[in-house]
Amino acid sequence: MNLDSYSITSEPYYFPTHNEVQLFEAAYASRMPMMLKGPTGCGKTRFVEYMAWKLQKPLITVSCHEDMTASDLVGRYLLDAEGTVWHDGPLTIAVRHGAMCYLDEIVEARQDTSVVIHSLTDDRRILSLEKKNEVVRANQDFQIIISYNPGYQSVLKDLKESTKQRFGAIDFDYPSPEDEAKIISHESGIDDKTAAKLVYISERSRNLKGHGLDEGASTRMLIYAAQLMAQGVSLQDACEVALVLPITDDRDVRNALSSAITACA
Amino acid sequence: MVATATRGKYAVQPHSQEPGSPDERLVYLVDKGKLAFRGEYQAIWESACNKLAQAGYGALIPLSYARHSPKLVKILNPEAAINLSASVSLAAIKVNRAAAELLPKAAVIAAAELKSSHSFSSWIATVEELIHHAPESSLAVLERTQKIVSTLTPDRFRSWVLAGLRSTGDDTLRQIQYFSFVDPESEKWFLHEAGDVVFTNLERKLKLYLISLWNLCPPMRDLIASSAPLSVRRISISNGVIQVPEVFPGFHDEQAETIFRAGIAHAGAHLMYSTKKFVLGELKPIQVALVSLLEDARVEYLAMQAFPGLGELWLPFHTAKPSGPKLVPLLLSRLARALIDSGYRDGDGWVQKGRDMFFDPGNDFTDPAMCRRIGGLLGNDLGQLRAQFNSKTYVVEPPYRDDNMGLWDFGDRQGQEESDEGIFIEAMRTSPQESDDDSSSSQDSEQSDDRNEQQYSARESTDSEHRESEVAVRYPEYDYLTGAERPSWTCAVEYFPDFGDALKIDRILEKHSKLVNRITNLIQSAKVSLPERLHHQSVGESLDLDACINAVISRRMGETPDPRIYSSTERKHRDLSVLVLLDVSNSTNDKVQTAGTSILELELQATSLLAYAMSELGDPFAISAFCSDGKEDVHYYRIKNFDSPYDSSARAYLAGLKGKLSTRMGTAMRHATSDLINQHTHRRLLLVVSDGEPSDIDVDDQLYLVEDAKKVARSISRLGIDTFCVGLDGSGDSYLHKIFGKKNVAVIDKLERLPERLPMLYFRLTA
Repeated sequence: MNLDSYSITSEPYYFPTHNEVQLFEAAYASRMPMMLKGPTGCGKTRFVEYMAWKLQKPLITVSCHEDMTASDLVGRYLLDAEGTVWHDGPLTIAVRHGAMCYLDEIVEARQDTSVVIHSLTDDRRILSLEKKNEVVRANQDFQIIISYNPGYQSVLKDLKESTKQRFGAIDFDYPSPEDEAKIISHESGIDDKTAAKLVYISERSRNLKGHGLDEGASTRMLIYAAQLMAQGVSLQDACEVALVLPITDDRDVRNALSSAITACA
Repeated sequence: MVATATRGKYAVQPHSQEPGSPDERLVYLVDKGKLAFRGEYQAIWESACNKLAQAGYGALIPLSYARHSPKLVKILNPEAAINLSASVSLAAIKVNRAAAELLPKAAVIAAAELKSSHSFSSWIATVEELIHHAPESSLAVLERTQKIVSTLTPDRFRSWVLAGLRSTGDDTLRQIQYFSFVDPESEKWFLHEAGDVVFTNLERKLKLYLISLWNLCPPMRDLIASSAPLSVRRISISNGVIQVPEVFPGFHDEQAETIFRAGIAHAGAHLMYSTKKFVLGELKPIQVALVSLLEDARVEYLAMQAFPGLGELWLPFHTAKPSGPKLVPLLLSRLARALIDSGYRDGDGWVQKGRDMFFDPGNDFTDPAMCRRIGGLLGNDLGQLRAQFNSKTYVVEPPYRDDNMGLWDFGDRQGQEESDEGIFIEAMRTSPQESDDDSSSSQDSEQSDDRNEQQYSARESTDSEHRESEVAVRYPEYDYLTGAERPSWTCAVEYFPDFGDALKIDRILEKHSKLVNRITNLIQSAKVSLPERLHHQSVGESLDLDACINAVISRRMGETPDPRIYSSTERKHRDLSVLVLLDVSNSTNDKVQTAGTSILELELQATSLLAYAMSELGDPFAISAFCSDGKEDVHYYRIKNFDSPYDSSARAYLAGLKGKLSTRMGTAMRHATSDLINQHTHRRLLLVVSDGEPSDIDVDDQLYLVEDAKKVARSISRLGIDTFCVGLDGSGDSYLHKIFGKKNVAVIDKLERLPERLPMLYFRLTA
């Protein structure tokens, strides 16, 4: 099977904040399963894309959701004109043909999903397709990466201990203000000073975390705001559209946040 | 005041054309007044006058009625004028002659303001309600008719009167204080009803604003009532507590919100940058005022460095003009403006000097000492100009700025420490208004995280129960008569529960060992449920072979196949948290004849069994108990929290419960909900165990607390929390059904069976 469509051909922009690139390369050398932790919109997915490009490996990304079951990952029988036909799921494709498989927000998926990956994440490196009576040995290029946002998930949605302990982890956070400003101005094309102001504004919303907000404004949101500003939208309006309105429906929080943004302007 | 003046006027200086003696005057007024009426109304009104004259109320009441009531004909209609006589009569009988005499005049004022007969009749109805419930206070209200009707609609007037009656109970003295605006609560509710923007409504916004700007979460509260008139009340900061006036008079709607925000931002700037207190030393009052003013300017300068937009917030309040008499307060306002408004030009040498010194490049803005130095010098200058300064009448301007008392270390001069401590304790009591305020505020974290630790320290240090109170949170209460909630009306105070004998709970389990066995079996089946296979699904882990074959057959036959060809398994697991709220009011001490023990004892037995079941099942649960002693003191005891184990200390608290006081159910439910809302389980259940109708010592309207509890139950269900009530009062169906809805109530008629029924009910509820 040709995985070319999964390859990343041009270099994704990624601004390393610490030594995460070296750490990941070292982990890949032994195909260690990796867990990327951090708040939403801080660059986890971009990092994986960047690493896939850097290591020249195809990348299969699966965004996990509440209704996702093990079959959605592994594959299932489907019917065609002649009878039933087995279709590999994204995980099986990656295992068979040697791709990096990135399971985004794994805790969102049902519990049985995380158990499926257990045999892949220890020294066995196999995936058993019970329905098909087949054991797939992992291609030597295969690596599994999951992302995990410990912040807003409740105690209910946590990884099993047995799952957690099969991964190495890299912790991501929002970059330092200087770095974040650089990232924003690169991604949107606005000048450094305005980007710095946006970062300063994001601090206001990150302060409200735990006081009506589950998460502060992410780097991604700041980039959106900056992109609006690059189109000539005023700072106040851009922040309203990209930072305030999406983040909460609580009127008091909105009001406080808008006023704080006005104060920064 | 008005009443006596009115009376005096008529008695001593009769209108020039009126005859001298009261009888003659009445005849004259009736003759003149009846001209206002037409047809049959003339005779009816005349007989109403005569009735009043012959009722023995004295001469002045019929005179007042005859003089004023005809005016109502023109403004409203003849019926209003005639019906008024009945109200006057009522006032004469229930209150006193002064009130009855004043009523016709007040009615004319009200009618002129309200203009519609419908509004007028609701005004009169409220006045009569007041006469019935608080006769002693009605004169005070009538005297203030002008103020009241020009500000409040009749409905709002009623709300304000009800707020007064509800808050004062049947304490006549407090009623009089409320209705004559001596009690600061009165003004507060008056403003509330007048629809002014009040602090209470903005508090959360302002809090979030401060968190957002500086990540500061200081406790905020209403300014402690002072005798100062509202217009000169300022925000006050002491020991990190921000006290805010309920209202800034003269500022409405958006403007009012802006001044609150400006004030809070200013207070935040102080908290951030006013790091050291100034020592009073030998400074003169004018120097103190100046140093404070400069310090205000300094912290605002620093704050604007961080948040340039704050300038736009503050500047509009600086309205001083560079002209006018050189009075010290005016000069101070001009200096304040000169220090914040770079576009402001002031020709006055002193102001100019102050500005130059302040912005001298050699100044270190991070150090408050510069203010002290410049303030001292500028004060001396003013002294040489022999300008008069009265520190007693001086008020900080512009009004968004705080009183700056918190900047000063007064030493021993004012016994400041004592009062500060008082404020701090007060603030502690009201600080965790918001349940989601997390660890960033030190007090909040203490309350939630180190509860146990604090508990013990409090236990050691105190002896009276009242001082053991740990947290107090204010809640609104719903008044069905006005159809609205009064914000911050009641206060739930958390007390530490008494320690009892934990073994008592174990003994209960032993005593009911058969029941415990049954519960254990039930737990087994409730815990381990077999996975259920779901066929014919549109989504599933595996194919449903039968459905697949059918689908293929349909296809081959040229029909549209049914796409639901999957099957899946579902394992039902328990995912719920429960808060058990126990009513421990005095009535639970009643003996249950058939069981030979008290209701409370049965409640305890039932709760111990239930707690056993819940802890064995692994459902997160909490147990609390409540009783109440008036609206300001709703006792709330945490027996077990969601995050603490059901250990011997929880059992000891449970065993230590005592029945006392009353049942203000709504407030307790609100407080319990604030805990339950933070539980992230699929189902959340508030299980109320109560033995009687909601009641409290300061409430004589039976329906009031029932309606409030009903309102709470509804709003709780809107939050996705289930409520269920176990009633221990055989005759309790009616009101419990009303509060919780028929389906959500189980009334236990044979109380002795409660210990058995409660756990079973729980299994049924949570199956």
